[in-house]
Amino acid sequence: MYQYDEYDQRIVEERAKQFEGQVERRFAGEITENEFKPLRLQNGLYMQLHAYMLRVAIPYGTLSSQQLRKLAHIARVYDKGYGHLTTRQNMQYNWPKLDDVPKILAELATVQMHAIQTSGNCVRNVTSDHFAGVARDELEDPRPWAELIRQWSTFHPEFAALPRKFKIAVSSTPDVDRAAVRFHDIGVRLVQNAAGVRGFEVLVGGGMGRTPLIAPVIAPFVAREDLLSYLEAVLRVYNLHGRRDNIYKARIKILVNALGVEAFAAQVDEEWAQIKDGPLKLSAQEIARVAKDFAPPAYQKLPAADALLSALKLGKDRELGRFVQNNTTLHKQPGYVAVTVSVKEKDTPPGDLTDHQMERVADLAERFGFGELRVTHTQNLVLPDVKVNDLPALHAELKSLGLATANANKLTDIIACPGLDYCALANARSIPVGMEIMQRFEDVDYQNDLGDISLKISGCINACGHHHVGNIGILGIDKQGEEYYQLMLGGSPGHDASIGETLGRAFPRGEIVDAVDTVLKRYLELRSSADDAFIDVVRRLGLTPFKEVLYPAPQQLQEAAHANH
Amino acid sequence: MPETQPLKWVVTANFTSEGGVAYLRADKSVTRVLAEAGRFATKADAEALRKLALGMEAILADPYLIEVAELPDGIDALSARERIRAAGPTIRVRRPDPRIHTH
Amino acid sequence: MRIIKDRKLVDDSFVHVADGEELPTYGDLIVSLDRYRELRAALHKRPGKVGVRLRSNQEAKLVADVAPELAVIAIEFPGFKDGRGYSTARLLRDRYGYKGEVRAVGDVLRDQLFYMERCGFNAFELKAGKDMEGAVNAFREYSVTYQAAADDPRPLFRRREQP
Repeated sequence: MYQYDEYDQRIVEERAKQFEGQVERRFAGEITENEFKPLRLQNGLYMQLHAYMLRVAIPYGTLSSQQLRKLAHIARVYDKGYGHLTTRQNMQYNWPKLDDVPKILAELATVQMHAIQTSGNCVRNVTSDHFAGVARDELEDPRPWAELIRQWSTFHPEFAALPRKFKIAVSSTPDVDRAAVRFHDIGVRLVQNAAGVRGFEVLVGGGMGRTPLIAPVIAPFVAREDLLSYLEAVLRVYNLHGRRDNIYKARIKILVNALGVEAFAAQVDEEWAQIKDGPLKLSAQEIARVAKDFAPPAYQKLPAADALLSALKLGKDRELGRFVQNNTTLHKQPGYVAVTVSVKEKDTPPGDLTDHQMERVADLAERFGFGELRVTHTQNLVLPDVKVNDLPALHAELKSLGLATANANKLTDIIACPGLDYCALANARSIPVGMEIMQRFEDVDYQNDLGDISLKISGCINACGHHHVGNIGILGIDKQGEEYYQLMLGGSPGHDASIGETLGRAFPRGEIVDAVDTVLKRYLELRSSADDAFIDVVRRLGLTPFKEVLYPAPQQLQEAAHANH
Repeated sequence: MPETQPLKWVVTANFTSEGGVAYLRADKSVTRVLAEAGRFATKADAEALRKLALGMEAILADPYLIEVAELPDGIDALSARERIRAAGPTIRVRRPDPRIHTH
Repeated sequence: MRIIKDRKLVDDSFVHVADGEELPTYGDLIVSLDRYRELRAALHKRPGKVGVRLRSNQEAKLVADVAPELAVIAIEFPGFKDGRGYSTARLLRDRYGYKGEVRAVGDVLRDQLFYMERCGFNAFELKAGKDMEGAVNAFREYSVTYQAAADDPRPLFRRREQP
């Protein structure tokens, strides 16, 4: 992974120092809370319901074991002994004290970490495919490009006060998409053209929130060396022309929609033409400097182990078999797999890790790999370089930590935002709903029968829980001070991107999990075979067959009305 | 629609130092306990106290008003948000924090 | 009035003259772009230097043709959240080659100065009541920057290659 040089290191150290000064000025009354707010937000520090919340950046979800130990240490010393993995591959702490935050930042800087631009109306932490660098289905490791974007966007002086937050994701898989690039302000897809040359397809104006939109392609092919100048052109057009009069219409997706894709692309091209051949053009030397840090580790030469993998899946140890079946992903290197460490144990909030779990997983990353880990946007961890032979031993270790639930990509691999248990913006709780679903549908055999299903829960319209792109989406709303939940079906964040549609009236807290159960049972009735996936059934048959079983009342009412005439 | 008559108004904020939930008593002192908060029959009276709280920025951040109902056995915030704010997260928080006291 | 200019506290000779307000007979002044266009010849005949003030929604290209005859281009920041002025300053410097004073006015706070200077501002009217001496230190909070900007046309990766 990327190793800071003296320059990178100085920047994070100076940031910690700067924030210390800002906190001092806040306590001294030199700046008001309103003036302090944007400063703390640009450093990932929010005021939540019960406490501050600090969001630590994990650029493109790549983490070293040493960094994870530091995160554990911070959880233990400055928080309540746990941290929370976010849908942007970051880690959040729910209970830091304000005057501890400069100390936390200084601690983070010692392991090449920071909280820069994890909030605020600026370019946020860049995200990527959590299997980047090891996935068998990728063109090449996209992370060097993500790192180049990270450096370009860090304290970018021109884009520190954009109309609204700005999220960039990078992927390099031609046929799948694990980074949800179509739901970002900018999605950057590494592609190869007909001549065999690699460059970037750039999508602009996707997003979730109040106005969910799938990003259109703005540039089908940008040369590798022009990536940063192209991004700068997009951001400049947005900074100057994005709406600032209405916070709900301020994201770039609204600008792209208002201008139309062609007119927006033309504005970007006009700006780009002025800067394309300027100093932002990436040199081969710089690309190579960053890429070398992502060179593959010293893998052992092993025979292909796909057969062994199949044997483990079907083996006598059913618990291990289910884990291998569901939580391993094919690797570029023969004899290795990537393992999803499920942070979705039924009795704990989705994505929460204790200090102890973090430290032990850091150990496992060294024992069963090269000391590197990934954070997924689905709020799990990944051990990217595990020998197939080691799977039984690794499984046993993970099981002892409560991190071996065999549910990756299955129903209980839930995405849930912090919701009203923590979040000042939320309208309803997410975590208890998620936990109730995890408890109700705990049976892995039942989940395997259901097949791959994504269930995503947000506690408000801002959609941190990605409910729009869940095969099953749940949105918490407020009805006169009470929590209600809308249910939607048909969303997908991937290559086949789609936005879920709401089924009907919202359910009270006590009924929402039953409603999910009803939907699942209906799906089992409707599917043509076990291979007929949930999302395919919804796309083929629409919402009507689900509405019929969820909302029988209007029909009955109609019948009653007829009877009265 | 049922009539949700706000019975009383309370001023709340978060502590600047560690972000914890704060309520203002009628005598302008600060408490962490909703039941000890000053309750005002008119929004104008509560607003006057909020204005005072705005001047206590070193201690309190972002004071605002909430509606509460007075019940025989205590006081109830009228929104799910404020009930959870008053009582803490409804899910298990793994370790009690020795830094946070109830008074 | 005291302002920060070229990282120092200085006395400012310019006065802002609002639209509709009578022009002082002499002395350095700053007017809106509309007023400047209306009174351009007369303004340059009177004793004193002339500057123009851009609202946050007025882009650099609007003033590009007359920029060389202006001593100051002031760019308004109505609030922290409105960052259009950063791009405007950058374009004035990089694209239109403006060499005069670029001044940030309005809701200008210490913690924006670092970004503003990098975008090409060299003068700052700090929000009233703020500690100006302390604010001057803001320019020195970072010794390294990643991007090419108005203050250094080379991004860090080019400086890494040829320090």
